[in-house]
Amino acid sequence: MNFKSNTIFVRLVKRLKSLNTYLLLLLCLISLRFQQGPSSFDAVSKNKAIFIYGFTKYFEWPEDKKTTNFIIYVVGKNDNLVAELKKLASLKKVGDQEIEIKNTTLIDNNINPHITVFTPENDIKNISEMAGKMKSKGSLLIAETPGACKGGGAGINFLYIDSKLKFEYKEDAAKKAGLKTKEDFKKLAVENY
Amino acid sequence: MSATMLAQEDKLSRAQGLMTSDPAQALQIMDTVIQHPQTKNDFYTWTIRAYIYYELYKKTEKLKLHSAIRDSILSSMKTSTELKPDSEAVQNINRMYKSLAIGYKKIVKVLLEDSLNYEGSLEAFNNYKKLLLKIEPKHNFEADDIEYNLTVGSFFSNIFNEDNKKTRAGEIAKVALLKVLELQPTNSSANLNLGLMYYNQAANLSKSLEYGADFTEIDAIQDNMIKLAKQSEKLIRTVYDNDNKNTKSILALYYIYRMLVDTPKFEDFKKKCKEMNLDIGENKPAATEENQNNPQNKDK
Repeated sequence: MNFKSNTIFVRLVKRLKSLNTYLLLLLCLISLRFQQGPSSFDAVSKNKAIFIYGFTKYFEWPEDKKTTNFIIYVVGKNDNLVAELKKLASLKKVGDQEIEIKNTTLIDNNINPHITVFTPENDIKNISEMAGKMKSKGSLLIAETPGACKGGGAGINFLYIDSKLKFEYKEDAAKKAGLKTKEDFKKLAVENY
Repeated sequence: MSATMLAQEDKLSRAQGLMTSDPAQALQIMDTVIQHPQTKNDFYTWTIRAYIYYELYKKTEKLKLHSAIRDSILSSMKTSTELKPDSEAVQNINRMYKSLAIGYKKIVKVLLEDSLNYEGSLEAFNNYKKLLLKIEPKHNFEADDIEYNLTVGSFFSNIFNEDNKKTRAGEIAKVALLKVLELQPTNSSANLNLGLMYYNQAANLSKSLEYGADFTEIDAIQDNMIKLAKQSEKLIRTVYDNDNKNTKSILALYYIYRMLVDTPKFEDFKKKCKEMNLDIGENKPAATEENQNNPQNKDK
């Protein structure tokens, strides 16, 4: 008995071949379409902002600095850190004080901050100068420059150990700035001077 | 030839004539032909029945994972095969197996894209393989496995990247992408997708941290974040080492080295990004990725 519908099958096979190619292309397109890019979120800046806010729980600022906004002053260029701090300021307070973020590329002596954060491009000289000027003015100096605590007048210096953000601490620098420190803060630092 | 035999032949011809225009009517005729003692043991009868069901299947159930009509096609083809068909019928049966197999591939796509049905897609994919094996017992499915798992991996990693709380999607994606890498360790898409999953998961760990988190908590998060970033670096580095013009890998490595605070490598990839005009969002503040909440009651 002859198979009378053979021509139908030939047409079917042709259709199927083109369908198979179409499906292959479609699946490739799906996988390409869903390839997302990397998040541009700056985790290091976020972590720094959390650290900075965490520091405020371990220090006491002079009485005259308890009535104004709590000013965190960033010296240098770090847009991501400033943005994170601004977000922090929109969500948190220090005690009853609103947080205010200021940022300039060079040091502005007219600003009277509670915390001064020096970005890494600031050298020891800059930090030491600021430490001298801010003596007894109630500003905690935070740096990210090697030696900034040991010999630069910073109270806190950020550093990285195996990619992890850590900090070293110089109690004397904080005291000279007029701040009182909780004793257990020392235990959090990787190095105390 | 007897009159009853001629009558059955006539029915068969009528059924064939109706198979494309009215397959339901054709099947009604076939139901009597397959029961008749003179035609029920003829492979031709069962092959035609399979083909008529196939016409009906195309019109109504080709996108169904579970289809009674498809089952009827398969059972008809099975019966035909058991009745020792001639070579031409074997060829036609094999073509139908192939077409049904390809149909399952289309179902894979529909189930993934339209209903996120991973289990269903896997079942359809396995059915595709089962049917193809009937006609090509030595078929090598490596390319199919790579293609399928890459699609699943890309699809579900995207869902996971958008919302890391969807851990099941993350697990499905990881298993699928690891399967691809098992088969083809240098596969760019799998390395890139899995690497991006790990990196984005690391970024999201930090994103999800509260500003009031204590130092112990942030320490633990940093540990996980760095572990994920290092896993990501290894995978994406494979892509970059195979093709140092791959922009996605260059951009990803720039962000990974920033997260790992590996300054020399970060600067190197920053330079590469700039040379290739890649947007590294230097002027975009990091916090713009998230909605800026401004609750009335601030935490102290």
